[in-house]
Amino acid sequence: MTTNLNERMVKIILPNILGYERIAMASSASFAKMFGFSFERIEDLKTIVAEAAINAMQHGNKGCTDSLVTVTIRFKDNAIHVAVTDQGDGIAEVPPKPDINRIMNQLDPPVGFGVFLIQELADGVEFNLDTDNGHCVNIVVKKDSNQVEDAARK
Amino acid sequence: MQHENEITLEKQGDVTIMDIKGDITAFSDPFLNNAYQEANNQGTRKIILKSNKEAYINSGGIALLIQLLAQIKRNNQRVVIAGISDHFKKIFNMVGITKFAPIYDTEEAALQILAAETE
Repeated sequence: MTTNLNERMVKIILPNILGYERIAMASSASFAKMFGFSFERIEDLKTIVAEAAINAMQHGNKGCTDSLVTVTIRFKDNAIHVAVTDQGDGIAEVPPKPDINRIMNQLDPPVGFGVFLIQELADGVEFNLDTDNGHCVNIVVKKDSNQVEDAARK
Repeated sequence: MQHENEITLEKQGDVTIMDIKGDITAFSDPFLNNAYQEANNQGTRKIILKSNKEAYINSGGIALLIQLLAQIKRNNQRVVIAGISDHFKKIFNMVGITKFAPIYDTEEAALQILAAETE
């Protein structure tokens, strides 16, 4: 993704500290509002951005406080394109969908919800993209999406 | 940065309302556990987990809530959720939490349902 910022593209650089994902959430919400996204879709975007940033901090940068997380947000083709870059090596494999029945019965650990929520709420996700600056996750959030309603009904 | 929850317990008949103030994240672990232990010490059988529409709940918080629901289930207690936003209702439905803890819009609606139930 180009790094030239303009009226359709912003970049947020976060310290690798849990809780600072809120900065990216609030920024992405303001950005989406400028482009006429609905309240519901902005709430989806906030969760997507938060979970992607948390994953980058915990799993990408492995909690290293010297590392950074970069969140780039671009509006294009009636969708917001989010790129979250960390300084790690990427994920070996995408975790499976968490099975709440197995978790409730202590057969599985309670993990994998972040990636699951991103996949359910977004219109497209690409993991494991290498860039000059590290590992990147690209996410597309369309202005209008039926996918989320379908997922919620499953 | 502030990562604290204030959780108050209120008894209404045989129902305990756990009123969770603040965001629900991985940092909520000690606050949720302490409040649940206190509710257990009071011998509660029915619990309302109450949050509010402004609360931010992330995957770490969801994991904690599921672990709490699992404890509640193992202790044969009844639990419902009240007060969360429509967005998190959707999220909880996606994750499957609503299979184990139905969600009501308000504390009053949740209380009415639980109070009417006999064990």
